Amino acid sequence: MERWSPRRGKDSLARVCTIFGYVLFVFAILLVDCRPAAAIPAFARKYGMPCSACHLAWPMLSPFGQQFKDNGYQMGNERDAPIFQQAAYWPVTFRMTPYWHRESTDKAQVDGPSGPGSAEAQSTVHGFDWSGLDFHVAGTVANNYSFYILPSSDNTGAFHFESVWARLDNVFGSSWVNIKLGKFELDNLLSEKRILTLSSNGGFYQNYHFQPLVAPGISESLYTFGIGDNQVGLEWMGHSKNDRTRVSAALLSSTDGQPGLPTSSSYDGFFAASQAFEWGSFGLQRVGAFAYLGQASTYFAQNLTTTTPVGTDLNGVPVTSTATAGLPGTGTGLQSFRRYGLVGQFYIKKFDITPMYFHGSDSAFLGTNTASNTPLPAGGRSPSWNGALFESHYTLSPQLIFINRYELIRMSQQAFSTNPGNLGNIDSLVFGVRYYPFINARAGFAYHAEYAIVRQRGASPVTATDLTNSSLLFGFDFDF
Amino acid sequence: MRKSHVVMAGFAMLAASAVAMAGPAGGTVSGKVTYEGTPAKMKPIDMSKEPSCAKMYTTPPVAETVVTGPGNALGDVVVYVSAGAPDEAAPSTAAIFTQKGCRYIPHILAFQVNQELKISNEDQTSHNIHPLPKLNREWNKSQPPGTPPISEKYDKSEFIPVKCNIHPWMHGNFAVLKNSHYAVTPDTGAFSLANLPPGKYTITAWQESYGEQTQEVTISGSETKTVNFVFKAKPY
Amino acid sequence: MRNINISKICLSLAAALLLVGIASAQDSHIKEPNVTGHAEAGKPLYYRYCWGCHGARGDGNGENAPYVVPAPRNFVQATFKCRSTPTGTLPQDQDLYNTLVRGFNFTNMPSWAALTAQNRADLVAFIKTFSPRWKTEKPGDPIPIPAEPKLTVDSIKHGGELFQKLECWKCHGQEGRGDGPSASTLTDSNDQPIRPFNFTTSNRSKCGRTNQDLYRIFMTGVDGTPMPSFADVVKPEDAWDLVHYLRTLQYNNPSPELALWLSTKEGHDIVEAKKVYNTNTGSGVKP
Repeated sequence: MERWSPRRGKDSLARVCTIFGYVLFVFAILLVDCRPAAAIPAFARKYGMPCSACHLAWPMLSPFGQQFKDNGYQMGNERDAPIFQQAAYWPVTFRMTPYWHRESTDKAQVDGPSGPGSAEAQSTVHGFDWSGLDFHVAGTVANNYSFYILPSSDNTGAFHFESVWARLDNVFGSSWVNIKLGKFELDNLLSEKRILTLSSNGGFYQNYHFQPLVAPGISESLYTFGIGDNQVGLEWMGHSKNDRTRVSAALLSSTDGQPGLPTSSSYDGFFAASQAFEWGSFGLQRVGAFAYLGQASTYFAQNLTTTTPVGTDLNGVPVTSTATAGLPGTGTGLQSFRRYGLVGQFYIKKFDITPMYFHGSDSAFLGTNTASNTPLPAGGRSPSWNGALFESHYTLSPQLIFINRYELIRMSQQAFSTNPGNLGNIDSLVFGVRYYPFINARAGFAYHAEYAIVRQRGASPVTATDLTNSSLLFGFDFDF
Repeated sequence: MRKSHVVMAGFAMLAASAVAMAGPAGGTVSGKVTYEGTPAKMKPIDMSKEPSCAKMYTTPPVAETVVTGPGNALGDVVVYVSAGAPDEAAPSTAAIFTQKGCRYIPHILAFQVNQELKISNEDQTSHNIHPLPKLNREWNKSQPPGTPPISEKYDKSEFIPVKCNIHPWMHGNFAVLKNSHYAVTPDTGAFSLANLPPGKYTITAWQESYGEQTQEVTISGSETKTVNFVFKAKPY
Repeated sequence: MRNINISKICLSLAAALLLVGIASAQDSHIKEPNVTGHAEAGKPLYYRYCWGCHGARGDGNGENAPYVVPAPRNFVQATFKCRSTPTGTLPQDQDLYNTLVRGFNFTNMPSWAALTAQNRADLVAFIKTFSPRWKTEKPGDPIPIPAEPKLTVDSIKHGGELFQKLECWKCHGQEGRGDGPSASTLTDSNDQPIRPFNFTTSNRSKCGRTNQDLYRIFMTGVDGTPMPSFADVVKPEDAWDLVHYLRTLQYNNPSPELALWLSTKEGHDIVEAKKVYNTNTGSGVKP
């Protein structure tokens, strides 16, 4: 995923005059270019089932679809191997969304009387646009060997790999042993890849990407992490045959899913477990918990200085530019960070709500952008925060779903005692509706409408006061 | 003169009552079923997959989809009263259907609703008896050699194809009818439906390949009405 | 290696959930749920999950039906393959419910175990509204299945004799591979070509994996297909012998019957003759 890369190493805090508010805005757009998963008509074509069987309203999964996924995208009727399909069957789906949208921020960094970039002003842009493109290539290469490759592009057509994995399903004939290797979405009960909203401000879960502010105007720069980002590693996952009980444990490289081992040789761990139970005639209810135990390097043992020729000056003397960066793989001074959560999925007839409690904490060094071989700055502490998310849907029919989400993040301890207590706190509210004019087993289409508004305390680029951004989006979301 | 009138009247009454006592007064509908055109040539059946049956024939038998006789006669046509007669209770005798020489005997068996159907296997190989109704219940039973006859009945009137899955050339039909006024034409094509009380009747003739035809006939007393059916033969 | 302290809270929470899960898992036991199904509640479920194959009118003519082999069940006709009741009779509700939980092996009908018991009961109630037969006929009585007798080599051998005498091999072939002399001409009741079951491929036959399911298949017949009912011609104790023999045909799936058969010289020689060894294209090559 193309990301804004935080500069590592020893850049002073002053030099990092991050326009955090605006960056959050841009950050958010880039995040949404990591397109979520979709209804996968390639599966529907393979098995002759309509989208509504596996998806409550695509991309959101139904319990039947979740079981299909956990089984390695297999129906389990000994017809899953590709030999049972026509030779012309190719397991590829694409998804794309053209739309009109309006993005608004109340404090964009603009030129002011004191100089360039010294003031803040309200900024609204709107117009027609399009999303990135996802190719979902997924299925089985043989019975109980499944795979998923997701080349995903941003809206300029620049591709990256969002998912690349192969999985051994039902090892030893048991649904409790499934081994996945590659880059994949973490086994989050609330899957960001199946999110029903698409806008810059509403198309992701704030809690899944939040990193606290170091100080007003300064963001964490030593590491990048989101529990909603696809990670790269090895996952064991087990589930009961009817998918009521699900457990997983993953060993991940501490690279936030980036290839090439850019930082260090350290590993993170992710654990998740959930249990579903039937509640009378209301439907299936599920509760679960997850934990991410991560670590990040705070400095590099070796640094590379690269000199690049830029051109010549007026006297014909060559001009070069010099940059110093850590040598990939030599990151050291590992410091830990944690993310924990409790999730529920409750269905009451056509209404369902997913409440989530989230807790995160970073080590003081990560929280204050300090290399661990230097002393911690005065007043520096380990930031921690609590968050909550309530996502609810009303599925009037397989063709019409109403979406609402409220998220909040509250810092419980700031990185510096001098920070305002609510620095970085987020409130987010999203409304959406999707209408699917037809449901068949070949392709999908949704009319999508959405409004999202987000406020972060102390995040405006110049004055470090509250920043509010909003998105309005109308689009056609389709896949084949 | 008057005396003879009385005698004549008495005689007539005696005759009438004699006729009345002889049985229900009934008309008869009789006739012949023929075809026009050229019917398809019936192919000989290859029973090589079942040697125990193949050896019972010196020359292979032909399919019985269309049975013809001299004078363009059409056999195995079910002629029955489809309207105008009341439904009748089933007789107590059973209708017999036999599997012999890997064929069904008779090729088309007509019997009544709720009448007992008795199916026997006189061959040395297993058959499965698999009638394929649309209105009645579909069942499928295995009948190895030497096992007792299978007893079944149908509670709805229907024409039901019958097949054996093990021997795909075996085709038969059940004609489950609502009353006792029916006949299956032999290869002379002749039929006779007797003992019909006065009334208006619809007579239907059904042939498994050519479909069905109907004609109306009215019986007023004990006359014989002639009703002939001519089917258009299909060359395939 | 890693400098991670595994959080005790997390681990114990996960362990607790796992224990709860195992305790309440409704994995392979199909038991009558204590729920009553309602057709009105089943209707939206049918039109979400089932209609694509089974059709808006329940007649098996869904949009995807032309591409689905074997064809989806026609609920209007109400002829069902897997029943506990005699051939030609309607199945019990439990039979339909079990079908939803199990799915049909080698077909496009999946297992709907992921749905709730209430969902499945509602679907069964709704499916029954498609055919008028449910109003005019009562379902058949389940056939009595005596307790399975002790497994012995004689039972297996007697089953083999029955397999010959009842001429199962005419369709299923001498080794049960579905290649008997009549196999290539078989058609189902809609005149669509159909193959007999190949015992060597799986121990999961259409109507289930257990010995009881196998017993029921040939004692009630698979209605709508060429597979007849042998209830009139096979005695119950003989039927169990046949079940034991059939399991020895499934030599790719371990079972007590196969293990016992392999322990005899005769059985061992017969089964080994069917296997292919020393191929160079990978393990598990099954002929």
